[in-house]
Amino acid sequence: MQPDELDLITRDEAPILETMRSIYSAIPMHHLAAIHGKIAGAMVVANAITDALPLIHGPVGCAFQRKLNPFTLSSTFYDSPCTNLNNVDVVYGAEEKLSRAIVECDEKYSPGLIMVITTCTTDLIGDDIPAAVLKAKEKVGCDVVYSTGDSVGKSRPVGIQDSLNSIADQLICREDVERNEGSVNLINSPTQRNANKLLEMAGLLSQMNIKINKICFDHTTTKDMLDLARADLNIIGYRMSWAELMKKRMGTEYCQITGWHRYNQKKDPETISPYGLAGSTRVLKEIAQIMGKEGEAESVIEKSRTAVLSKLQSASKELQGIKVAVPVGFSLNLLKDIGVDVAALIYRTQTLTHGVTDRAIQEIERANLSLAEIYDYHPELLINPTPKEELEAFKRLNINLVVAPAKIAHFYNRVGFRTVDLNEFAQKEMSVGFLPSLKLCRVFREAMGKMRVRSPLLDLMEFDEGISNLTPHWAKIALSFHHLRSTKFSQSSYHHFHGLAGVALNEHNI
Amino acid sequence: MSIIYDPLHDCKMVGALRAFHGISDSMTIIHGRNGCHCGALLLQTLSSEQNSVRILFSGLKSSDEVYSGEERLASAIRLADRTFSPRAIAVLNCSAPAIMGEDVAGLQLLLEDEIEAKLIAMDAGGPEGPAWLGYEEALSRLVSQMRINEGEPKKGINLLGFKADDFCSQGDITEMKRMLLDQGLLVNCVLSGSSFEQMQKAPQAELNVLLGGDGLECAKAMQEQFDIPYIAVPYPYGLNKSIQFVETIVEAMGKQADPRILVQEKERTKKTVERAHMFFQGIYSTPVAVIGESGRAFDLAEFLSEELGMDVKLLAISSCNYSTTDRMNATDAPCRKMMVEPDRHDMNLALKDAAVSIIFGSSFEKRIASELSASLVRLSYPILDQISLSNLPYAGFSGIASISESIINSILNRNKDEIRA
Repeated sequence: MQPDELDLITRDEAPILETMRSIYSAIPMHHLAAIHGKIAGAMVVANAITDALPLIHGPVGCAFQRKLNPFTLSSTFYDSPCTNLNNVDVVYGAEEKLSRAIVECDEKYSPGLIMVITTCTTDLIGDDIPAAVLKAKEKVGCDVVYSTGDSVGKSRPVGIQDSLNSIADQLICREDVERNEGSVNLINSPTQRNANKLLEMAGLLSQMNIKINKICFDHTTTKDMLDLARADLNIIGYRMSWAELMKKRMGTEYCQITGWHRYNQKKDPETISPYGLAGSTRVLKEIAQIMGKEGEAESVIEKSRTAVLSKLQSASKELQGIKVAVPVGFSLNLLKDIGVDVAALIYRTQTLTHGVTDRAIQEIERANLSLAEIYDYHPELLINPTPKEELEAFKRLNINLVVAPAKIAHFYNRVGFRTVDLNEFAQKEMSVGFLPSLKLCRVFREAMGKMRVRSPLLDLMEFDEGISNLTPHWAKIALSFHHLRSTKFSQSSYHHFHGLAGVALNEHNI
Repeated sequence: MSIIYDPLHDCKMVGALRAFHGISDSMTIIHGRNGCHCGALLLQTLSSEQNSVRILFSGLKSSDEVYSGEERLASAIRLADRTFSPRAIAVLNCSAPAIMGEDVAGLQLLLEDEIEAKLIAMDAGGPEGPAWLGYEEALSRLVSQMRINEGEPKKGINLLGFKADDFCSQGDITEMKRMLLDQGLLVNCVLSGSSFEQMQKAPQAELNVLLGGDGLECAKAMQEQFDIPYIAVPYPYGLNKSIQFVETIVEAMGKQADPRILVQEKERTKKTVERAHMFFQGIYSTPVAVIGESGRAFDLAEFLSEELGMDVKLLAISSCNYSTTDRMNATDAPCRKMMVEPDRHDMNLALKDAAVSIIFGSSFEKRIASELSASLVRLSYPILDQISLSNLPYAGFSGIASISESIINSILNRNKDEIRA
């Protein structure tokens, strides 16, 4: 998307779109009871580029099942042509078939980009994919890239990371690029495809005389992807292998706004979150410094910050001192801005154990408690509490509001606790800038003013003691899944770990 | 001949899954990569009873593709047995392990005495074929688990070709059983929509009845092994098909259908039509398209054409069965144009050309329906964006009301201002 096309962004999404997302939120995907697989991730990327067409090099099932988008179940990948591999292809190879399929895709669909996505079948039979693609490229009028899932190690989600890395490697990184001096790319996740939350940041950077080269993903085309090469800096939300590759191959710097790398340098807890007034100020200054615009940045940041701060004083008045229980991971900076009192921190470590070491888990705990202390919060830390322990603690602490996703809200509501679901805010609003703090005020005020849910029908159901958002049957399915994927799979019994309830999953931890 | 293919149907693994998952106290283990498991889990979770999804993953990792995943699979089988206590465990050997040559049959023998559940293993690699072949093979695999009690007289019929994850399947099977019970016929077993024990008793039936022609391999195997004859009946959409369903089965059992009951059903249907007869008049000649599996779509198209008077401009068979060729060659085709397992892109072009007002199809026809501003009546597998909790049938005499409701409401509900010219 070009900066002058910003009007294309839908500023006010219809509420039904969020409801369409949340209706699937209780389905235990995202490593809870299933892993999407690399094809799904690659399909997300192909789908996020408006004129791209995925071509699945595999049998029909890989194409048919992949129409389901496990990242966003409310959207479907309607176009998923495949090479329709059969047993003969498995024996004799299917490189020629792939080359001809690419040409056919070009003739039939006229895309701007064909993304060849390999499957476990073609990975195993050892087709020479680069050679097949190269041969076809001579005959088509569009760009062609291939994604095999092998280029990014275990960088998650593998399918998304690998296909973006492939695009960078095979398309973006090149020599004959006319640079857009002094410009940056703002890059969000292809799962979101909504640049709305980057608008304030784009505006602030423009005021600092930092040009916006591209914002993606939102109405992103193949040409936009090619033009990413023109910027001096990629501003990325989380670790992206393709940004690292662009730095290596083209010298394009990147600034990763979330992640623990900054904290690890100085063990400064205030560097954990890039959000809220404090976090945003820090990140904006950092970008300005990289771009050599410190002078311009100072006044722009101060002006916007002061304006929002003044509005916050009245907007957050009724939230002052409200005791909230929050899962570890949500930005304490933002909570500080709106004046609530973080009285309980719930730390659920079980899903983290699959990608994070024990030492890192302890470091996350330490860093969050240190930050709480700096903000003069004195929360009680509940580590993997059972449902009973959690409710008892909330009563003792006189919690007014529990930050919990809708799928487990009934669990708190039935005993009188109000809840607030911050998933929509995190998906659509939480970004570098000062306005999110004001928006969060509104979300909390609405939650406090909402009618109490006194007798949810969901209370008729039996939920698992340990994983309270799942029934006992589904909890067993989820636990079996984790056990069978673990290195201890050969043990005949598996341990029943507690407290996966309420684990918020987003691009940072999937 | 075209190489690229955007399929309307799934692979062998999902066909087999649909058959095995219908055994209500079974577990199915997907021995494949995580994408296969994720797809299978989602298809069942979004299309059937969420409290009864019984799918596990063997946990196969890429490193297992080098060193073998048999140990991991053995662990999954043991875990499934001890944790869920199923009566049967089906293992579906997907593309990667099938190519690797995993000895799943050997594993079956090895674990047979160790686990309580009956183990059924089957190769279901993607390149091996389409879903309907997987369904047929999986059903026929159940035959070896069946037991006949020689001392017990044979009684009733089995219904084969039932798919528990079809939309309104619970309502449909209840209605079919009612229609047969009204004629004094008991349903002995539904394949697959029974417990493992009920399935084992399938040989106690006098007749196997194939719904829409699905389940032929199983019927043939049962005929050979247990001397049970079989017949195919239409999937009973509408009045004529329901009567044909009842009469064909009753006659195959050597009886005559009770005409009084059929008259009562006709009278009931008449009253249904009377309540909205102006709309029934109004939908006459509506141009429509039907997209669905062979075992359902031909009969649906005939109902729409012959009884509702609709103009079926396109019939696209998303997935075949052994009867498809015969149905295609029938003299009175219920449609102007027919496509069999077409490429989706080609089918969409045909739909545009056909200029239809209503598409009878699956969730995956949502976009083309929207593009053509046509109404989408969800009737065909997979339906992943609509649920049915009321147990109302679409099939049988009782199904006429609900299917007609869906059709008429799909037009009445439209907002004219949202429709493109």
